[in-house]
Amino acid sequence: MPGKRKKVTDKIKPYIGLSLGVLGFLIPHFFHFDGLSFAGHIALGIFLMSAVFWMFEAIPIYSTSMLVIFFQITLLSQQGLIYSDAVLPALQPEQKSENTWQVPAAAMDDSKVYILKDEINYKPLQVKVLEEGDNVVFVSADIQPDTKLVADTQHKLVGYKPVSFSVFFGTLASPIIILFLGGFMLAGASVKYNLDKNLTSVLLKPFGQKPMYIILGLMLVTATLSAFMSNTATTAMMMTVAIPIAMQVSKEDKFRIMLALSIPIAANIGGMATPIGTPPNAIVIANLNQQGISIAFGTWVSIMLPLVIVLLLLAWGSMRMIYPPTLEAFKLTLKGSFDKSGKAVILYVIFVITVLLWFTEAQHGVPSSMIAFLPIMGLTVTSVMKQDDIRSLPWEVLWLVAGGIALGISMENTGLAMWLVSSINWDTFPQLLLLLVFGGVALMLSNFLSNTVTATLLIPLAVSMGTSGIAGEGFSLIITSLVIGSACNMAMLLPISTPPNAIAMSTGFIKTPDMVKVGLIIGLVGIVAALVLSQIYWPFIIN
Amino acid sequence: MSDIYIICVEDEPHVLDVVLRDLSSLEEVFPIELAHSADEARQLISEIKEEGNKIGLAICDHIMPGDKGVDLMIEMQKESFTQDTRKVLLTGQAGLEETIQAVNNAKLNRYISKPWKPKELLDVAIDELTTYVIEHEKELLPFMSVLDQERLQEAIRSKGYV
Repeated sequence: MPGKRKKVTDKIKPYIGLSLGVLGFLIPHFFHFDGLSFAGHIALGIFLMSAVFWMFEAIPIYSTSMLVIFFQITLLSQQGLIYSDAVLPALQPEQKSENTWQVPAAAMDDSKVYILKDEINYKPLQVKVLEEGDNVVFVSADIQPDTKLVADTQHKLVGYKPVSFSVFFGTLASPIIILFLGGFMLAGASVKYNLDKNLTSVLLKPFGQKPMYIILGLMLVTATLSAFMSNTATTAMMMTVAIPIAMQVSKEDKFRIMLALSIPIAANIGGMATPIGTPPNAIVIANLNQQGISIAFGTWVSIMLPLVIVLLLLAWGSMRMIYPPTLEAFKLTLKGSFDKSGKAVILYVIFVITVLLWFTEAQHGVPSSMIAFLPIMGLTVTSVMKQDDIRSLPWEVLWLVAGGIALGISMENTGLAMWLVSSINWDTFPQLLLLLVFGGVALMLSNFLSNTVTATLLIPLAVSMGTSGIAGEGFSLIITSLVIGSACNMAMLLPISTPPNAIAMSTGFIKTPDMVKVGLIIGLVGIVAALVLSQIYWPFIIN
Repeated sequence: MSDIYIICVEDEPHVLDVVLRDLSSLEEVFPIELAHSADEARQLISEIKEEGNKIGLAICDHIMPGDKGVDLMIEMQKESFTQDTRKVLLTGQAGLEETIQAVNNAKLNRYISKPWKPKELLDVAIDELTTYVIEHEKELLPFMSVLDQERLQEAIRSKGYV
């Protein structure tokens, strides 16, 4: 029985994932990779382990994030097991003649020596090597008889300055996480007071009863809601609107397929529109923030909105071609009356003020994550959100993102990201091709992995290319990160690609090939559209 | 995903036919199994259990040769596998004493007296199954096509995720 066999592989899969993950964690502890620091090896172990765990979902993806942070505080923090009493080994170079010195080979890294500043800090110094062997003789005018050098260039403190454990914990309270929390509070309160449902019925009315306009209306409303709510929750809610419509046509009618497909697609695409729309956006913004680049809420929207609109129309148009509707008109019965209780009104007011402030960040200059604390404070102080409501927020999503941000920090400051990208000669790549490579890889990975995880694994690589300059002339860190981020959100080929797709499959109206057909069009055309916009439109908004 | 069964226990074949006809619209989502006696029902229950499926609704006649319907329901209430199954007693002849027993000991959910109107049984079944899936299933969308859409819609929205 095919069903049974599937169950067996489902049982084995977590064990394969677990063992591969542990193996990935251990590999860098047994093999030495040239050019990668000691700390980089530890970070590589954490990176491989988390990538495997995230891929196989051997454990839930948010717990992998927690595991990442655990290993970072124990292995990579200044107070952890490895670095708490680490001291750089000192060495006095032996003077041969006035400017000629001799040190053991271990103190020489290519033609660099490291001058000790204190127990954990050093400064690299380029020297001229005369003789190599067990001892290296070199010439340098910058060394005095009392200068101390680092005795071992492979030491764990070389190439990595340990950060405090609080840096890793701090990711959970980073501005972008608070921004998301603000979004969660608004969305949670909206569901509690039926604002989402009532908005849906109001917004859908103007689209009438013609099948193609109903689909367009559903898609636009879904995309709008999912720009502020989670894609998953929006899909679940909008499906409950779509299914009664689908029941009006016969089981064989292709209109059912289109209805069930249009909603997850619109929800996935809509998530791109605002910083709080979907977690990959958070990863993009957090990584850019760490490089001192901030993107205002309104700027993000103006960058992404054209792409969102193009993709929605593309999806709508291609479904219209693939599944032409047969019926003339549909009954759309949507009951909805806005809650007019005091608390609901407080919610409406806070919602409107917050969104207005978010969109006018450029005018008043208050960062969006600071504004996000308005709904967090406002909705709890007024008891619009009570204890149980706060408990029901998707906290695990925040942990997932926090772990992703933390992993990015270690990939950057241990030199791991740099080491990973430096194996390829990027500056021979035209910039557009480079964007295409990043976008294509993100799209492929993201069809199989969680969108957030894909962004987590790829964005630090783009960042290190930007900061190191190995990408060559014309490389824009912001644009590359945005292309990766949007490519992650365009992955909707398979039921496993995103939770909204899985929800749509559970209706039983669609088969995987239906999803693949439309998903393929969106993915391929979407990447091209993103690349075109990244060249002719984004630069104007960013500057 | 495992299937959620409806089982009907009734000794008179023509009544079973009517039950089956009334519930036919549910059959594509909830497979219906019939038993002619309490013994047959026990066997049916253990078969469904062995295949890893669940029983969402049991519709049971009271007066049958062998064990009575109320006794079967009390037994089902004691078994963890069938404890959460929604239980409907379908009978014209249960006395007050037995009815009290069914309500108190079998946690009977509904009582339908014979003869019933065609839509009555279906409405009861839809209502009970809706309650069952909301309480036990994670994915509710697959049930929207046959069960109470409004209640499912509310449940999906309030299931907590934002």
